[in-house]
Amino acid sequence: MLLPAHDYAQPGSLDEALALLNASPATSRAIAGGTDLIYNMRGRLEQPELVVSLRRLPELQGVRQLSDGSLRIGAGERLADLLRNEAVQRWSALAGAIRSVASSHVRNMATLGGNLCLQTRCWYTNQSEEWRAGRGPCLKTGSPDCHALPGVEVCVALNNADLAPLLIAMQATATLASAGGRRELPLEDFYTDDGIAHTVLGPGELLLALTIPPPPGPAVYWKHSSRTGLDFSWGTVGASATMADGRPVALRVVLGSLTTRPLLLDAPVRTILEQGLGDDAIAAAQDALRGELGALTNLYTPAAYKRELARILLKRALLRLRES
Amino acid sequence: MNREMIRLTVNGDPYELLASPRQTLLDVIRGPLGLTGTKEGCTTGSCGVCTVHNASGEAVLSCLTPALEWDGEAVTTIEGLETSGRLDEIQQAFIDHHAVQCGFCTPGVIMSARAVLNEHPSPQMDQINDGMSGVICRCTGHIKVREAIRAVGSKLDRRV
Amino acid sequence: MSTEARPGVIGRRQPRLDGFEKVSGRAQFTDDVVLPGMLYGKILRSPHARARIRRIDTSRAERLPGVKAIVTGEEIPGLMFSKHQPVLARGVVNYVGEEVAALAALDPVTAEDALRLIDVEYEPLPAVTTLREALRTGAPQIHEHAPGNIGPVKLQDFGDPDAAFAASDLVLSDQFRTPMQHNTLAEFHVALADFSDPQRLLMWTPTQSAPMYQKGLAQGFGLSDSQVRILYHHVGGAFTGRGRPKPHHFIAALLSRKAGRPAKIRATNDEEFIVFRGSGDTHYSFRTGVTRDGRILALEADVTFDCGAWDEWAMILWLPALYLNWVYRTEAIRYRGRFVYTNSVPKGSHHGGIFGRMSAGWMQHINRVAEELGMDPVEFHLRNAVEQGDTTMDASTFHSCGLKDCIRDAAERAGWKDKYGRLPPGRGIGIGIGAQASGSKGASNDTSAAMVKVAEDGIVTVYTGIPDMGQGSHTAMAMIAAEVLGIEPADIRIVAGDSEVTPFDWGAFSQRGTFTTGNAVKAAAEDARQQLAAVAAEALGVEPDALEFCGRKVWPAGAPERALAFTDVIGHTFNGLEGRFIMGRGFFNSPRKFGALAFSFGAQVAEVEVDRETGEIRVLKITAAHDIGRAINPLAVEGQLDGQVFSGLSQVLFEECRVEGGQVLNPSRLEYKLPRTWELPEVDYRLIETIDPYGPFGAKEVGEGPIIVTMSAVANAVADALGGMVPEIPMTPWRVLRVLRARERHGAGPIHPPGLPEGDQAA
Ligand SMILES: Cc1cc2nc3c(=O)[nH]c(=O)nc-3n(C[C@H](O)[C@H](O)[C@H](O)COP(=O)(O)OP(=O)(O)OC[C@H]3O[C@@H](n4cnc5c(N)ncnc54)[C@H](O)[C@@H]3O)c2cc1C
Ligand code: FES
Ligand code: FES
Repeated sequence: MLLPAHDYAQPGSLDEALALLNASPATSRAIAGGTDLIYNMRGRLEQPELVVSLRRLPELQGVRQLSDGSLRIGAGERLADLLRNEAVQRWSALAGAIRSVASSHVRNMATLGGNLCLQTRCWYTNQSEEWRAGRGPCLKTGSPDCHALPGVEVCVALNNADLAPLLIAMQATATLASAGGRRELPLEDFYTDDGIAHTVLGPGELLLALTIPPPPGPAVYWKHSSRTGLDFSWGTVGASATMADGRPVALRVVLGSLTTRPLLLDAPVRTILEQGLGDDAIAAAQDALRGELGALTNLYTPAAYKRELARILLKRALLRLRES
Repeated sequence: MNREMIRLTVNGDPYELLASPRQTLLDVIRGPLGLTGTKEGCTTGSCGVCTVHNASGEAVLSCLTPALEWDGEAVTTIEGLETSGRLDEIQQAFIDHHAVQCGFCTPGVIMSARAVLNEHPSPQMDQINDGMSGVICRCTGHIKVREAIRAVGSKLDRRV
Repeated sequence: MSTEARPGVIGRRQPRLDGFEKVSGRAQFTDDVVLPGMLYGKILRSPHARARIRRIDTSRAERLPGVKAIVTGEEIPGLMFSKHQPVLARGVVNYVGEEVAALAALDPVTAEDALRLIDVEYEPLPAVTTLREALRTGAPQIHEHAPGNIGPVKLQDFGDPDAAFAASDLVLSDQFRTPMQHNTLAEFHVALADFSDPQRLLMWTPTQSAPMYQKGLAQGFGLSDSQVRILYHHVGGAFTGRGRPKPHHFIAALLSRKAGRPAKIRATNDEEFIVFRGSGDTHYSFRTGVTRDGRILALEADVTFDCGAWDEWAMILWLPALYLNWVYRTEAIRYRGRFVYTNSVPKGSHHGGIFGRMSAGWMQHINRVAEELGMDPVEFHLRNAVEQGDTTMDASTFHSCGLKDCIRDAAERAGWKDKYGRLPPGRGIGIGIGAQASGSKGASNDTSAAMVKVAEDGIVTVYTGIPDMGQGSHTAMAMIAAEVLGIEPADIRIVAGDSEVTPFDWGAFSQRGTFTTGNAVKAAAEDARQQLAAVAAEALGVEPDALEFCGRKVWPAGAPERALAFTDVIGHTFNGLEGRFIMGRGFFNSPRKFGALAFSFGAQVAEVEVDRETGEIRVLKITAAHDIGRAINPLAVEGQLDGQVFSGLSQVLFEECRVEGGQVLNPSRLEYKLPRTWELPEVDYRLIETIDPYGPFGAKEVGEGPIIVTMSAVANAVADALGGMVPEIPMTPWRVLRVLRARERHGAGPIHPPGLPEGDQAA
């Protein structure tokens, strides 16, 4: 479980970092807090030839309140620092989501960017190389087989990043930077359905910052995991609503950790917008989930439990919106 | 593979040493620096026995971070908690409250407890729970660990 | 001469004597030791559950600079780990992770890189990796000597079970299952061997029992015991996981012998889940016969253990038969226990032994019996619980027993009467009771020896072979010696952890530390005291047995004004011409031929809350009452109770190796769940101190008794919240939901885990 051989560079500016990454995009990797990358390198799930440190890049730091009330957060901001930031604290759902990540130890190292770029997880793959030898390679490690859901052609590893669902619900946009320039996109478009290329980051491209508009109404977040501390989620939900007369007139609900891409719900949300937040409407929204989940894997929790959990996550988020 | 000379301040002492990208901060602390108070456990961030402090007195996991990242920075290990031969009050509280059993987790648990107190001089129970959930103490079940932290915290309370 | 407890050291809340070392980071654990010239070893393991080894090619690894020794099974044909089991696989592998080859190199990086250069060609064979597969008719047979994959079997009847069941008014039976569980020791498995001199093996490693390691290694390498020296300074937890040497101990020795320099092997995160010998998948079937008025007439247990590829721990097989009668009076017992081989890592035991896990099901079953009779479980326990003076069916006698007091006390403090049957939906309350033996004869003898040396400055050294894995034995031993000699625990040094120096002691298992070693240390201190008394009596002109030792002084009984300082008495021994150097010797071996001399008892009430939507369980409160004999050090006793409550609820609610195809899917501290700070309940305990006539100062044990009780209390509380038995642990959210769904469909009847095939060679 030692680190594989590689080179290491610690650039002092974004341009320098992008140039380094761009020189050999396929074999280099950025390291922010390292809490995910080092783990994966120990298991030889990642074997970059060059690791480029983001630790000293001023361009990735900082939390700024923009004139429209949005928050612009540098991808290199440590989660622990964000929790101490007053602007972040005012958005309690966001603060709650950050606090739910791992443990304070990890949050003292981990960054926002690292969390959003977190590698997808699968318990046949996120193991040591020796362990994996027992089953042979999979889609992610170079074979046509998937051990989690035999027969699928696209990797179904889970997106376990706890901050993604809420930030998508809050309509955050991501700013990406590469040697070729910058681009912006809604966070939901940052993710894909492929557990291998699970973000749209191009070769040598970095996540530079996140811009979160001020919540138009209540936002809620809830994480369900085995333990309260230090645990990846079994399921998370982030939701944000615009309310008028106790009824949502705009609503976004996102489920996390159940699938490869955070799930921005459609039919259940339409149900609520049509029927409101009464008990019957919530039950109808739960039933409307059925078509949105697709095939679920048995990763970490049984698939049947995931299906049940999705219903509960949705219900609890809606109840909290109703109470807020 | 490059090896680099790095400068590290550990427990106030300056070191210059050659480190390779394959070494974590933990490898360097326990290996060339010979500070074996910091323990090696899971090496994957989930047991906390490798906990040390960064320059701000926050708990970080030395097993999950490359040594080269720390060039020019300061770190405190369990060996650095004593001041002129006197135990830190949290160390003494661990003895008094029997928050130590086998002792293997203890350096990491104490560094974590100290970090909780650094941030919250008189911590509430949820602040203790949050700050200590990254470590695991199989022996004590954390019960007396929490007691020891509370005891130091409430002593501070009385002082103000 | 009386050395019974006075208000003195015994019963004092004594901080542990090794506290300073441990909190300051000075305490040295095996992995902290680096010997000159030491190599770093790594083990290559089988990726297959069962396969033929066609070819092992180590040539590429040999050529890597820095590699100093490579070993494979073929070059050590005589070296066996147990009767049928080689240290390194030869010809076939029988489980994922089995040791196939090993090497040692100058540094860990080279060792790990070199390991990747060993090429092994396997031919996979059909494997059976679960109990169900192994017992299926026509299942592939793992070992030639074990048709039907059935390993050792134990059948035991006490009394006439057929008659007793026939005489019963009500007979109920239930099935239960416990999974593979891991000891998750804080200090990972590690062995540092120096075998450069092939006639002397030095093995530095954490252990619960130096003699077991010494004898195991000596036998393997054809040495006599004394040619093997076992060293350990501190031991990072054991939880039944360090009772015997494991393959990596032998392999470190082999590598060292071959390279002619010391070699260290330390397990990695997921190797921990291969080298361990925790508990295996276990199925239980319980049957109980009672009279209408709630008296137990017959108890039956049938237990099938997945022992993995080898039966390394067959000694645990007979234990359940005895346990049933440590708790309840009965007229008859029937027991069958059997090991079944599967292609998976060999199993041993987990914290709480087999009793804790069995009780999580058995106590739910007993609860059901009580409820079926319309009796309050507390009343049922009180009607049937054993008492002081009872003799069990295997002829153990309870010389002290506070079980009924524990039951009454825990129930009362928990407010049982007001809560049982009256809690709102989603809440549950449960009571568990249990017993545990202090020390035991059976598989091995139960001897401890100790020495007590007195130095010129009054400092006393206790030489003991008991390891302190955290349980606090060293501090307890110091307290016992200090009490006898009338000095302070701080005046005592403990020398332990070196088989060459310390007198024989079987070690810290079967809850024998305080009881057996404690008796030996007490005897050694008394011997030293007698030697001192002879000298002091001369100086004071009185008879030796008319002296009192207390507060670092010695005086003629009733005349404290004539006291001599302890150090002055010692002065006489050093400065005279007679050579009366003080060295006390002590020894203890239970006079019984078999079984235990003393038993601890306890009762706990647990209260839980279940989220009926998510299936999450929260333990709110544990109220515990334990009879552990005299508490030598109440502070340490509380620590033991805390740890066991934690571990007990952990096993019932969280811990499980999720296994697929013989491979553990969650081999990490992250995915093998243990509760952490947020999950801790409120714990309220009381000690019901009985004074055991055989225990040192009346002490018994607090090593593993309480965890058994926690496991049964928590299980019963969850069952109460869910309206009936939960058929397996851990009670994960999805299992809870499954039980709730089944209840919706079938009402309140018992729910059982799927049964097992009887097997071809059913015994
Ligand atoms: C024990 C443990 C528990 C954990 N629990 C949780 C949990 O509860 N919830 C959770 O969400 N996560 C959890 N994690 C995962 C991880 O620690 C966090 O998600 C963390 O936020 C990752 O951030 P980092 O800065 O350390 O990432 P790194 O490890 O530095 O990076 C992660 C990945 O993102 C890439 N990357 C990092 N920054 C950028 C950037 N700016 N642009 C482009 N790519 C980038 C890296 O190349 C790497 O592939 C846990 C990890 C551990 C070890
Ligand atoms: S060794 Fe660093 S967290 Fe376990
Ligand atoms: S004291 Fe043993 S694990 Fe904490």
